[in-house]
Amino acid sequence: MLECLVSLESMSLSSMDVSVLERLKWLQQQQQQVLSTTNASPELLQFHGTNNDELLQNTFSHFQMLGSGFGPNYSMGFGPSHEAMDGCISRTNSCQMDQADTVGVMLNNSEENITIILKNKRKSEVKTREEEKTEKKIKVEAETESNMKVKSNLSNTEASSETSKQKSKAASETQKLDYIHVRARRGQATDRHSLAERARREKISKKMKYLQDLVPGCNKVTGRAGMLDEIINYVQSLQRQVEFLSMKLAVLNPELELAMEDLSVKQFQAYFTNLPVVVASKPSLMVDAPLFPLDQQGSLDLSVINPNQATTIEAPSASWDTQSQSLYNTSSLGFQY
Amino acid sequence: MASADKPINTDVPEKDVFALHFLQSLSNLRRQNTFNSPEKTNDRVKKIKKAAYVSMARAAGGTNRLWSRALLRRAAKENNKVVRLPRRKKRVTCLRRRRSNRRDPVEEEEAERLRNLVPGGGGMETSKLMEETAHYIKCLSMQVKVMQCLVDGLAPK
Repeated sequence: MLECLVSLESMSLSSMDVSVLERLKWLQQQQQQVLSTTNASPELLQFHGTNNDELLQNTFSHFQMLGSGFGPNYSMGFGPSHEAMDGCISRTNSCQMDQADTVGVMLNNSEENITIILKNKRKSEVKTREEEKTEKKIKVEAETESNMKVKSNLSNTEASSETSKQKSKAASETQKLDYIHVRARRGQATDRHSLAERARREKISKKMKYLQDLVPGCNKVTGRAGMLDEIINYVQSLQRQVEFLSMKLAVLNPELELAMEDLSVKQFQAYFTNLPVVVASKPSLMVDAPLFPLDQQGSLDLSVINPNQATTIEAPSASWDTQSQSLYNTSSLGFQY
Repeated sequence: MASADKPINTDVPEKDVFALHFLQSLSNLRRQNTFNSPEKTNDRVKKIKKAAYVSMARAAGGTNRLWSRALLRRAAKENNKVVRLPRRKKRVTCLRRRRSNRRDPVEEEEAERLRNLVPGGGGMETSKLMEETAHYIKCLSMQVKVMQCLVDGLAPK
């Protein structure tokens, strides 16, 4: 039995969490104790092997024994839960493990994570099995506790949301193939909807963080409601700014001449990229400069633009030119504004 | 949920693009004969504002973004013009079928206000709404910069 655990440690240690390692070592010690007390080594030797049902049975029976050993110390009423465990163990054993031997894979796997490669299983089965796997890594008292909770969850899978507000451990989310394998938190429901809800909520919180970086002054406010308020205020202020500036422009507009004169692209670009620098030529020219080749019908004469700009174009403005060309091509929608 | 996490993509074009589109629309506006009359400033303001938004929508990626599509469609409806927008891979129908997954009551109140602000927000799921908001904020700030620039340049010295 020790070989398998040694093989566990021989896996790339850097990628495994230290806590997981500790737990595994602890488990190793526990099993050593179990071996010494119960002399059940031949059963555990099948750890490495292919016979999963027996394996599960063995591990659970050992938990049972350990649990009974901890009985007097255990604060919670262990008696009735014992029966629950028995009943549940039989239930878990009746679960079909059709495909690859998961535990065997887990132990023999030289991959980094202790992710379980599951192929085409139904999600509820997947989650319950992962719950079982997580149990092995927790301390026994806690394990039995969570065991009971999980079993109770299994028994009433319909009532989910109540149990989802209990103690939590760090949940790890790993991706494999097309599925997101979510380690359910301790004591939380494992049914499909709450898991999906949780994944969705995490997605949303990730995006909120992204928004938080975007909006200035959002760092001080914590909590989702406050942040959302900030974001909404920011958007409203931007929209108000647009309105205000458009009013200003409306006032300024009639003062300008409608002169359409030839203006180099360089000047125009400089106008917009260097904010404080204002070109000395007449402002009206700026406004009308790039627009003279624009026909009302929407067919833009690019050949007109190019020879004019060819002489004055440098490297930076060349990119602008190609960009503007592509814009002219793509910006004609069904209507011209 | 069976989807890999894609990185959030909110690339916004350079300021020049916004400037180009805005000036384009301004000059089109100016070509209208009734535009430069000294009275009716309010109409002018509204037209300029609308031009600003539409040019921003176009500059920001045209029909590739949900909010810009909604903006353009709204503007076209006001002008009684028909906009033919290319159909994207519509996954909205799948969302409707999904069993009220996004109706988390606490979140929905908060998201409701955002939906009212961001164009096209009504038909989006909350996570998509966040992405669109981020892009919208970037584009709005770009547009504000361009307009500010213009106003500063045109201001009487």
